[in-house]
Amino acid sequence: MNTKTLDIAASRPVAKKPLSLPVHIYLLVVRSLTSLLRTPEALLPPIAISIFFLVIYQSTLGKAAGFIPGIGGSYLGFILPLSIVSGSLSGSGIAAQNLVRDIERGYFDKLLLTPVHRAALLLAPILAGAVILGIQAAIVVAVGLLLGLQPATGFLGLLAVVGLGVLLGIGFAGFTVSAALGSGSAAATQGASFLFFPLTFLAPTFVPLALLSGWLEVAAKLNPITYVLEAMRALLNKGWDGNAISTSILACLALAVAMYALAVFALSVRTRRN
Amino acid sequence: MKDREIVVENLVKSYPGKVKVTAVDGVNFRVDEGKIFGFLGPNGAGKSTTIKILTTLALPTSGRALVGGFDVVNQATEVRRVAGVALQEIGIDPLMKSMELLVLQGRLFGASKSDATARAKELLELVQLSNAVNRQASTYSGGMRRRLDLAMALVHQPKILFLDEPTTGLDPISRRDVWGEVRRLNRELGITIFLTTQYLEEADELADTVAIIVAGQIAAEGSPTKLKAAMGEESINLIFDTPELAEKGRSTLEHTGDRLQLDRETVRLYLSKAAGSIPTVVTQLQNAGLAPISLTLTQPTLDDVFLQVTGQRLVATEVAQPKSTRSNRRVEVNK
Repeated sequence: MNTKTLDIAASRPVAKKPLSLPVHIYLLVVRSLTSLLRTPEALLPPIAISIFFLVIYQSTLGKAAGFIPGIGGSYLGFILPLSIVSGSLSGSGIAAQNLVRDIERGYFDKLLLTPVHRAALLLAPILAGAVILGIQAAIVVAVGLLLGLQPATGFLGLLAVVGLGVLLGIGFAGFTVSAALGSGSAAATQGASFLFFPLTFLAPTFVPLALLSGWLEVAAKLNPITYVLEAMRALLNKGWDGNAISTSILACLALAVAMYALAVFALSVRTRRN
Repeated sequence: MKDREIVVENLVKSYPGKVKVTAVDGVNFRVDEGKIFGFLGPNGAGKSTTIKILTTLALPTSGRALVGGFDVVNQATEVRRVAGVALQEIGIDPLMKSMELLVLQGRLFGASKSDATARAKELLELVQLSNAVNRQASTYSGGMRRRLDLAMALVHQPKILFLDEPTTGLDPISRRDVWGEVRRLNRELGITIFLTTQYLEEADELADTVAIIVAGQIAAEGSPTKLKAAMGEESINLIFDTPELAEKGRSTLEHTGDRLQLDRETVRLYLSKAAGSIPTVVTQLQNAGLAPISLTLTQPTLDDVFLQVTGQRLVATEVAQPKSTRSNRRVEVNK
């Protein structure tokens, strides 16, 4: 017998007590981010598209904005939130793509064979996605500043705008992660991220909420994106509006809780041992 | 020692639906401590389903399975701690480096950062990947990925190792590497190994006990030597210059041995004591004025056993398929 190899078996007794949930989440978020950052080609297009639309909206509609009542401040401050919200949408897709890749490559099964907390398997890709879209939102804000944005609430207000974008993205990510778990297919997950795309337009996208009427007004009032846009616009163009901010946070939380419940269900289906 | 044993009793797994499919149909076997158990069968015979049940990824419909003394249904967490698993599809994220993957795996099993790192280093040495630590797994060859996957399965020092078709899709050299590794783990660390394979040669090479599963049921079980002795036939193979000479050889030897087979220049003579019959065969050929260019003796193979048990020959074929599909091989069963 080879004693050296025998030592290998005996030298490192593995701890019997599993680590806590936050540690598992931290470990898996770091893993997801490491993996994601090694494919920057997947991360750059969403940022590029967000910036592209920001510039296009600002240049084509910026001059006309004077004719739209209720913009209240600069058109840039009015339209930049749209850019951040669409970034939240595409960012949530990134999180789910990472998860679906793990499923397709069998790495997800490998994780299932460890005593990892099941909740960590859900939360890690969602939170990794949140980190990515936080960075995206910060970049979009920086570009806004370069274009001459003068936020009414200063630096803290910009932080709040990025924070709201991240919070909204977490809700979206809950949905795309559910799609990834449910389908195990990259194409289906991609399709699911497009489902949210129309939601961006069932909202006071280009004009203030007060100018919408009929079915569009009803749809917009049911759409959490509406409240996020309103709160962001207030932060950039008006000032601290406690009411708008708390409503938007509530809307994001409601979306996130609902989508997380969906994701828990999708995970239980995926890991059902049949 | 119970913690290195596998006991399977009347295991059944069926999938309900319009047509009820029973993938595993009343399987019984036990794997003793420190043994290598080879589970052999064509695709769809129930190998992967059995391994999924034993590794807690699937639940049995009925029956019982104990892995390391723990029930796979009610004590899944304990089973996961005692068993290491390398599934057919290599479970690694190719964008990660081998060190990162091993440390993460160790930490998820509860090891501290320093312990997990030390363990990862030892394992990389064990599977001979120490010089590829800082490369992403996507740059690894098939054999290297397989070895990394094996290391992942060993992170928590399992007492029982499950290997689902560990060499499928590997070239012959990598295959031998993996065989060497498996043998080493078994002999040096005393790890009990449960191995599924569609290669008869592999089962013959590695396993102490072989079970052949066909259509969800075990058709034969025993040590490769015993199975071959019980069911295989030895043969004397003679190759002649021309098919005409071979035909003459065939008619000369017609009444020697149990069975004769003529295939172009080759005559295959099946008989129970082949070695002892060589003088007789040679004398008969000499008397007929025939001189074969080659005379060889063939011991029975597991292939023969498989043929006898199932009436089918097991042919594993590699089929090139796009990377995205989950499985890259197919088994054809020829009648």
